[in-house]
Amino acid sequence: MVKREQHRGPDDNGLCSNGPATLGMCRLAIIDPANGHQPMHSPDGRFSLIFNGAIYNHRELRPGLTARGWNFRTHCDTEVLLAAYALDGAACLGRLRGMFAFAIWDATEQKLFAARDPLGIKPLYYARLPDSGVVFASELNALLAGGQIPREIDPASVGEYLAWFSVPAPRTIYRGISNLPPGHCLTTDATGRTKTAAWWHLPPPAASGRVTTNYHDFIHGLRHQLEDSIRAHRVADVPVGAFLSGGMDSTAIVGLMTKSGASRLKTFSLIFGESGFSEQASARLAAQAFGTEHHEELITGARVAADLPRILASFDQPTGDGINTYYASQTARQGGVTVALSGLGGDELFGGYPSFRDLPRLNRVLPFWRRLPAGLRGRIVAFLGDRPDTRSRKLADFLAHARDLHELAALQRRVLPETVRLSLLSPNVRAQTQRLGPNHPMLDDFAFELIGADPFQVISAWELRTYMADVLLRDSDVFSMAHSLELRVPFVDRVLLEWLWPQPTWFKYDPRRQKKALADATADLVPAEIRNRRKQGFALPFPRWMLAELSPFLEETFSPVSLSGCPWLQASEAAAMWQEFKTGRDPRAWSRVWTLAVLINFANRRTLP
Amino acid sequence: MKILLLSPEMFLAEGGIARIMRLYLKALCEVAGPAGRVDSLVLNDNPARDKRLGRYGNKRLGEHLGCSRSKLRFIRQAIRLGRRADLLICGHLHHLMIAWLARLFNARLRYYLVAHGIEVWRPYSWLEKCAMSGAHRILCVSEYTRHQILRFHPGLTPERVVVVPNTLDPYFSDRDNVVPSAIPFAGPRLLTVSRLLSTDTYKGVDTMIEAMPLVRREFPLARLRVIGTGDDAPRLQELATRLGVAGAVDFLGSVNDEILRAEYAACDLFALPSRREGFGLVYLEAMTYGKSCLGARAGGAPEVINDTVGQLVEYGNIPDLAAAVADLVRHPRDSEVVRRHADSFAFPTFTRRLAAALT
Repeated sequence: MVKREQHRGPDDNGLCSNGPATLGMCRLAIIDPANGHQPMHSPDGRFSLIFNGAIYNHRELRPGLTARGWNFRTHCDTEVLLAAYALDGAACLGRLRGMFAFAIWDATEQKLFAARDPLGIKPLYYARLPDSGVVFASELNALLAGGQIPREIDPASVGEYLAWFSVPAPRTIYRGISNLPPGHCLTTDATGRTKTAAWWHLPPPAASGRVTTNYHDFIHGLRHQLEDSIRAHRVADVPVGAFLSGGMDSTAIVGLMTKSGASRLKTFSLIFGESGFSEQASARLAAQAFGTEHHEELITGARVAADLPRILASFDQPTGDGINTYYASQTARQGGVTVALSGLGGDELFGGYPSFRDLPRLNRVLPFWRRLPAGLRGRIVAFLGDRPDTRSRKLADFLAHARDLHELAALQRRVLPETVRLSLLSPNVRAQTQRLGPNHPMLDDFAFELIGADPFQVISAWELRTYMADVLLRDSDVFSMAHSLELRVPFVDRVLLEWLWPQPTWFKYDPRRQKKALADATADLVPAEIRNRRKQGFALPFPRWMLAELSPFLEETFSPVSLSGCPWLQASEAAAMWQEFKTGRDPRAWSRVWTLAVLINFANRRTLP
Repeated sequence: MKILLLSPEMFLAEGGIARIMRLYLKALCEVAGPAGRVDSLVLNDNPARDKRLGRYGNKRLGEHLGCSRSKLRFIRQAIRLGRRADLLICGHLHHLMIAWLARLFNARLRYYLVAHGIEVWRPYSWLEKCAMSGAHRILCVSEYTRHQILRFHPGLTPERVVVVPNTLDPYFSDRDNVVPSAIPFAGPRLLTVSRLLSTDTYKGVDTMIEAMPLVRREFPLARLRVIGTGDDAPRLQELATRLGVAGAVDFLGSVNDEILRAEYAACDLFALPSRREGFGLVYLEAMTYGKSCLGARAGGAPEVINDTVGQLVEYGNIPDLAAAVADLVRHPRDSEVVRRHADSFAFPTFTRRLAAALT
């Protein structure tokens, strides 16, 4: 199992057994590289820790722990975590600032405690074994390498994947393996009795105390919080760089890094030959403005086609996204950095997606829509659902299934409309998927957490909890770790989020100006051309590549032989989807076809060791 | 204290709402105080007094009127009785507008809503929201129902939406009066109790039938006993036939309390893997007989079923459901622990909670 995770930590590894518990770890050494070997043990031998991630405030926590009698042997954040848990138990989680997934064995109480950071930057998977044991790891492939869990794809997870671009936690693509949700912890005793619980929730919608009362104070406060987050995320004893796409978020990150004293900063961006995708000019403008050592990497369809086997082999469960992160991470690592900062999370925090504007409007229409006669509503939904374009089908899904803003916010992230998803599944799986319904599996949990929240907070939270946690952060972890790069996300920071969350929405968001708050808070850093530009996103020219260089891969993937390896799919429907895309009537359909292709390829590869 | 109780039904049917409204009547008669009076108005019941009324009302019970489904009569009587009441307890959201109307004729009237389950898990009309906002308190059967109400009506003050969990009927849970089943069974006997309506397929009876082939691989003599009637019964029977387990699934239809209690007492496991149970009174009934319970991890069921009394599975996951059935048949929960858990929902506790909520 440890060998299977070698790419995540090529600098060191360790293994130890203590009674019924065995802990193993591969380390990517970032803080105090010379020390910090893991598993790390407490001086009395009671606690043994393995830890994936970084505790950014480890220097601030150290004096308090020293004062309480802990005698530090290293300068490593791992030892700070060990000390914090040894002295305070699970209560230490609330004081940690960082990204983490860790497990600690308490030899005295014969209990394992594991936890994951609040927003899900670092993953933790676990499975119960038939002999009452529990195994856990940062990647599914490592769990499977133990040989005790069958590589059996869960048909219910296939249904979820086709809806959401990835398999939402707590499921995974494999039957019997669970994904510990963000902000959750797990305890298991020597008999294998396992419990999970949430240790962190989003702040109450109207938390009092630190709410600013005028826009000037808000922007001043936001700037302070952003600088603080950047300062925290730069903590490392190895070279730190940044992804720079040329968009608002990454430019702000690089600007703030420069402002906080980063010298000879290395920045990385991807460029494409195809017009309309590259943000080369903006990225260069930003790099010039901040004086960074800028690296550009040309990505072509031919290169992606050649690298595809390696890319597909690097992820442990299918995802319809993330190839841009694969190349950006590769470029950064080859460019000489071990840690890179990314602007991921800016859209979720500052309302960068069109959903922040569109969904509240649609939500206002829903009460009137419900007053229409059921027969008429059915005919309208059927009419929209039969239209070939993606927008109409999505609207049909909204009107057919959404009852409030929570359901709108969840459904707007669907890849395949419900009717298409069901038609792709074999009859047995279809029946099970139909029973579970079209809504997100965590609908109740998330909606209840957001009682009393305003529309902006509701949409922001759904973006944070679903697409960001299950797709963006998961892909970022898998693809950055594939290149042994530690990717850090200063916008996905608990301290920043807890400050920002209760602030008045009209300070944070203006539908007429994209990411107004972030733009105003970094107005002295981010060039006006970038602040005033429309959002482009970190996208690849996939629709074109799929009809050209990637076409042979897709032809093979959608062939009868390949589809026969997917008993839970309706092969004819899957092949028809690819054929339809080739006619080119709806280029927006590319993500659906790609999502399906990745799943089929994954199913055919899963039998390989 | 003068109290008026509005119920959709009480003795006409044996559904969960009817059963719990009887207990509301009984509890209100106890909390009304020595000089108190409780009037009861039931929309669907017949005007004739049911012989069971004596069990649920005491000398403080005043008028008890059935309206034979006449909404006009129900509204007229509610306004008449509401004029002399201090409190009005409304047993269904659909009648809350009537409570709101009654207050127009009696300014000192405080009205309450009893929120059971799926009837309140939805968006509300403007009028419903107004009526809910005017309620002194909303009494929810579970924390899950409370959350759903606050989700769909975020304007409500959270402190006014309180949880009063359902309770067991003291008469029903009298274990000494159970007549044992005459039919012996060689294999494990699984019991499910639910209405079988095509509008309520979320109850999960079909998933239990679908799990039977897998269950019978491990327990070839296992039988599923289904109690309840409705227009979905033919589909379920056809499903059992199609899966080759028709001989192992007994559709008992609607049964009287005596047979129902005997079935609870004789089963090895009670299973209702429902997706949308507001509370799940049937789980409590089964627990009274010390039986392990299997439910779905959804709705209010997790507030009633914990690890010590049974298991929760993901709704609709047939292999997991079959595995949980097998596990609970092999390792049934300690019946004394299960009974003690059921006792925590006993009627005296319910009465105390209700009295506190009405202050």
